[in-house]
Parts: sequence; C-alpha cells; structure tokens
Amino acid sequence: MTEHNPGRRTFLVRALIGTGAMAGAELAPAQNNETRKETNAPAQLHSETERHGAFFNLSDAATVAAFAERLMPGAPGKAGAHDAGVVNYIDLALSGAYADLQDFYRRGLAQLDAYCRKTYNDTFVRLDAARQDAVITALEQGQAAEFTWPTAQEFFNTIRTHTMEGMFADPIYGGNKDFAGWRLVGFPGAQPIFTRTDMESRQAFKRAPITGL
Amino acid sequence: MAIEKTDVVIVGMGAVGGILAAELGKAGMKVIGLERGPRLTTADFSGQDELRYFQRQDLRPNAKRQPVTWRPNANMPAKPLPILNYGNQAGGGTVHYGAVSWRFHEDDFRVRSHTIERYGVPAIPKDSSLADWPLTYADLETFYDRAEYELGVSGKAGNLQGRKIEGGNMFEAPRRREYPLPPLVADQSGVIFEEGARTLGYHPFSTPRAILSQSYGGRASCTYCGFCQAFGCHVGAKSSILVTKLPEADATGNFKLLTGTMCFRVNSDNSGRVTGVSYYGPDGSSNTIEAELVILAPFIYDNTRLLLLSKTRKFPNGLANSSGQVGKHLMAHITPRVFATFDDRFVNIYMGPSAQKHSLDDFNADNFDHSGLNFIRGAQISVSPADLEAGPIGAAMSINPPPGIPRWGAAYRDFLAKYFTRYAAVVAQTENLPYTDQTIDLDPNVRDQWGLPAPRLTYDWRRPNELARIEFMLVKLEELAKAMGATRVWRAPMGAGAPGAHHEGGTRMGDNPKTSVVNRYGQSWDIPNLFIIGSSTFPTMSGFNPTLTIQALAYMSADAIVNRYKKSPGRLV
Repeated sequence: MTEHNPGRRTFLVRALIGTGAMAGAELAPAQNNETRKETNAPAQLHSETERHGAFFNLSDAATVAAFAERLMPGAPGKAGAHDAGVVNYIDLALSGAYADLQDFYRRGLAQLDAYCRKTYNDTFVRLDAARQDAVITALEQGQAAEFTWPTAQEFFNTIRTHTMEGMFADPIYGGNKDFAGWRLVGFPGAQPIFTRTDMESRQAFKRAPITGL
Repeated sequence: MAIEKTDVVIVGMGAVGGILAAELGKAGMKVIGLERGPRLTTADFSGQDELRYFQRQDLRPNAKRQPVTWRPNANMPAKPLPILNYGNQAGGGTVHYGAVSWRFHEDDFRVRSHTIERYGVPAIPKDSSLADWPLTYADLETFYDRAEYELGVSGKAGNLQGRKIEGGNMFEAPRRREYPLPPLVADQSGVIFEEGARTLGYHPFSTPRAILSQSYGGRASCTYCGFCQAFGCHVGAKSSILVTKLPEADATGNFKLLTGTMCFRVNSDNSGRVTGVSYYGPDGSSNTIEAELVILAPFIYDNTRLLLLSKTRKFPNGLANSSGQVGKHLMAHITPRVFATFDDRFVNIYMGPSAQKHSLDDFNADNFDHSGLNFIRGAQISVSPADLEAGPIGAAMSINPPPGIPRWGAAYRDFLAKYFTRYAAVVAQTENLPYTDQTIDLDPNVRDQWGLPAPRLTYDWRRPNELARIEFMLVKLEELAKAMGATRVWRAPMGAGAPGAHHEGGTRMGDNPKTSVVNRYGQSWDIPNLFIIGSSTFPTMSGFNPTLTIQALAYMSADAIVNRYKKSPGRLV
C-alpha cells in the first residue's frame, strides 16, 4: 500500500514545480543536491484548473515543500522530503489529526513570508538553497524578529517534527512514498516477526521486503 | 442520574485495578470497575504504527483534553505538560508499557535505615523526606512470586534462596524459585552490551520482562516485532492486565466494567466512612455508586486529585488527609543517556522488545560503595533504543546528533541514513529521593474536559544529590558504550527539571498515621473502608521500574481484604 491518492499527489507535485530550490530536485534528480545551482528559476503560476489541497493552497504547499526539502534534502540514491511526499503528509495531517494547528501554520507561513521579503526582498520558495538555509537557521536560532506567534523556534521545530513524521510514518498517512524514508535509513517497516537468526545477525536485515500496514 | 449499589467499587482498571477486580470477584464480592478510557482488545493492536502509538501517543491520555500541569517550584507559573506518560484505557499503562518487571532490592524497602547504618545521618540530604517502607522485601516476596507466575514474566534468577547465579541479576533479592519463563532472546544491542559490561567486570543480564518467551497460559509467545514500548501487543504476548487479569475478573461473574467513566468524587458520611463514588458517564451524566468498600487505583495524580476534590466539612483538607501528607513526596525517574554508533557492524536495535533490553545492576541502590561520593542511591543501567521505542520517527525525534552535525540538512540526513541501524543508547534510570516540597495539588487555572481542576505538579529533579548521581552515571555510561565497541559516544542533553517516567508518591504509606496517608495495605488511616493502592503509596522509588512492585502490593492488599477485612471490616494494622 504505497500509492493512496495519485490525484492528490499530482496536485501537490504541480505546486512544487518551478519553486526555487525545489525546481532542482524536481527537474534534475540525478544531480547532487549540494551542487544544484539552477535554483532561481522563476515560479510558475498555476492554472485555475489545478486542485486545491486538503488544507494548503498551492502557494503554502510550495513553501512548506521547499522548507521540508531543505530539512531533509534529496540526493542521488538518498530520498528527501520531496521524494517521500512530506508536504502531502502535512497537508492531510492539518486537515485531520492536526486541525488545531491550522492557524499555527497560517500565521507561521505569513511571518516566514514577511521575514523573507524584508531580509531578501523575495519569497522563500524563490530564494536559492543557501539563502533558504540561512532563513531556516535564523528561525532555528530564534533570530527572526518578524515572528511573534508562533515564535520562530516553535515554527521551525514543528515543521521539523512534521517533516520527520512525513518521512518515516507509515505510507497510509500520505508521506514516506514507496517507503522512501524507510529505504533511506534501512528500516524494514512493520515486520510482524523477527526470527532468532535475524536477531543474531550483525548484518543489515535483508530476509524480507519492507512492509507497511 | 443513575444510582447503583455494590460491594466494591474500584476507580481505575490498570495494573492494580485489574488484580483487585479478579481476586475480590473470585472471593464472591460484587465489584464495579470505573475506567475513563475504552476497553481495547488484541485485535485493536494489529497495526504496527509508530506515528499513531509512539508519536501521537494514542494509548496515553490526551494532553489537551486531560491536562496535567507542571512548574519547577512554587514561584513559577505551571504549564501543561506536552506528553503524558501513563495509560488511558482498561489495562492502564500495562497496555503500552515496556513490561520491564523487577523485584525491588531488600534495601529499597529500608533506604533511610540502611543509609544511616552504612554512611551515617549526614549522608541524607537535609531537605529529603527519605523514609523506610512499613514492610520488608520478605513480606512481599510471596506476592512478587504470584505476580510473576500469574501474569507471566521471562527472566533468569540471579539469587535463588541466597545462591548467586551467574547470568541472572546477582544483586537481586533472594527469590523462592526461578522465573516461570526463560529470558527473551537478546538482540545485537544486548549482545554487545553483555560483552562490553563483562570486559569492565560488571554483571549484565537479560532484563526480566512481562513478555512471554514461550507460550504460557494459552497465550502466544513474543514475535520480536519491536513495536513494544508505546504499543499494544499485536499477538497478546505482553502480559498486560488486559489479557491476564481482566479475563479472570470477567470469569468470576461478579465483575462489571464501566468504560468511558470519570470518577470526580469519593462520597463520605458524617460517621467518617466512605459511601461510594460519583462519576461522569460517557454521555456527561452524573451518576453515583454506593459501595461498602472504595478502592482508588488510577495513575498517581488522580489519587491526590480525587482526595482533594472530595473534601467535606468533616474532612476539610481532603479525604484521608488528617496527616497533611496527601500530595507530597512526588518522585519520578530521570534517565541520563549516551548514544553510541558503530562503524564495523549493524546493531538493528529495532528488533525485539524495545525497553531496557539488557541490564546491569552494579550501580543501582546501594550495590556499590558510595563512600567518598557526594550522593546516595544509584541507577539501573540498560541498553535501549533512543526513546525505549525503536522506529525511525523515535530516532529522529529523540537522538540529538553528535557534536558537529546539525539537526537538519544533508549532513543530518546522512547521519540518520548511516546510523539508524548502527546505534544504541545506554541509559541510566536513577532513584531520585523524596522531598516534601515535590507535590501534586489542584491547578487553580487549568481545567480538564470534565471541568475538573487539572493535577498540578511542583517538581524539579535538579538537586545536588541527584545532579551528582547523574554525572557519576553519565561517566559510567560513556565507559560502557566504549567497551561495547562504539566508534563514537556522546551524551544526550538533560531536560529542564520536569518529572520523567514512573511517578511515585502523593499518598505515602507508613506505620504512623501522623506521618503517612495509608498503611502497608493501602488502607487509609483515617477511613478504614477506603484503600489507595499503587505507586502513589511508595515512600521511596528504587532505580527499578515500579510495575511489578505495584502488582505485588495489589496482590498483598487483595489477600488482606479477602482473608481478613471481608470477615471483619476495620483497620488491618
């Protein structure tokens, strides 16, 4: 059970295309993330025929996706937040289990936007990777004065937590696409049993394929 | 508003409530059990879902609807704790716990006397309310034995009637017979912990756990799936109250369980006896049960809260509180940790039961000489995954990366990618001393979903005795991790003073009605038909997990109620 709603995923992928650093991940997957230089391609306007997310509008989805990708960047052979569908996970969580955090995200994203415009005269998604990292570092260290509630650190910590959840939660929640997160770290997932031989091995577990719920 | 009559009403159907319900029901007493959560079944736990059970704490109280507040001292504002580490369903914490099942040491029951005998009065911090228990290990041994055999505990004896046995815990108190089940299979973290500890001259062993290493009592054995601490067991191999004592209670025909019910008052009359309890039903209705005997067995906060909420003109300071001791001497385990990574092998710590997999007891209790050290009492040491749970969300949330690696970005991704399968945590679980000013009371500002004042904790473990012990243990943990063959070893940060796991205190037991709330049976000194049973009665906490001792106390109280109190209701001591 790895692909639950292709339509939603298409929507959210579209939300990412052409958005700053994410463009590199989308258009040049074989290129090492650290050397993705062509990250300032202009954002493309989405057409009105594209569908809205369960919670995020297209712009917010793009921002959260770009932010998550910097927290867990993809690289050749190493799945990142985009590969795992982290923004899809967060979008579904905010429309369900985390509905009480909707305003937290709304205000946090508005403050992030204000901070980026003031500091770099641009939106977060249009900044290059180095500047996006500088923004995230400022949030992590509580050095973005534009933030009141949520505070910069609260907002950073929450997106970090939700990014990890989207990377590593079972795919039924909308992230960890094709077990991308579990493949990254070598977790075999919801195995119902480990044998004595499995337990006695000092090698990586290979007996059974990764399995989900 | 419904009114029911019964012989016994038990508030809380966890480790204590399930045992009392079964044992009193077998003796022919009509028992009603109140449980605020649902009654789940093994079929409900078929999902091995880290997000739901570990990260979102599905089997725990909801911290927003059922808040508990904390402040480090009385001069600070109290804020709701973000995570509540106890149970919220029939079976209580035994549904999600790691099932670690220790007997306390002999000196754990007489910490004050033992400390004075060996180190003198000045060794005890002046502000500590350290006390002996009103019972000895020998008094409880037969009930430990019953709990191990009736519930199903796997382990290896280290002290059989005084004979020390290599491979078991040689520091344990003498036991009458072997465990009912052999130890669980060690995973690789246990294997390297065992090897490393032996090279340092310590005495490691497989942690005793209430998890079936072989089929037992009609239940299947553990599959080593690893979704253990924080999860309900998908095959019923964890010896939770849900699959052990509640079915026994059902079979008596004398037991009725009311789920979704929140007890908000213990009722009493002017004669000084309790008459029953009032509770909110799942529909919000207010209901009353009239009972000859009331037994309180919720998590410890609710013992204090219920007693304080139940004050009357006759009991102006709360029920059972003529001593003024209700709510005092709150204790909790604190767990200093180091992380260790291995470059020459995989560890795969996600395999097997996840909590405190392999242990040593060399630095617990007074098993080592504290002369010249500036603290008393010790810690149980074990190897575990990051947060006693071994999935990748837990690793991402609970492992601080080693110095030089940030918490995000490509270097962090590569750290997780390489070491998720190649790490272990070595953890100490410290015996923190009781202090009178560590308390539970009613929060004046925060209310829960039923409109009741939230329990408020005033607690800070950062005291000289505790800080010195933690530093001592961290050095031992680092040495152990290196002896295990780790390439890199680093410390986890300590928290900001909040209580950790395994809370104790609030309704202390003793042998003096002026300085304790209950006697050794959990019977209120003030009100003989009111019992309070559980870790809230512990005078001291031990470095060991409390549950097996809670269960042994429950068996002892049940025995006293059935064989003595039932024939002649009145003070048992």
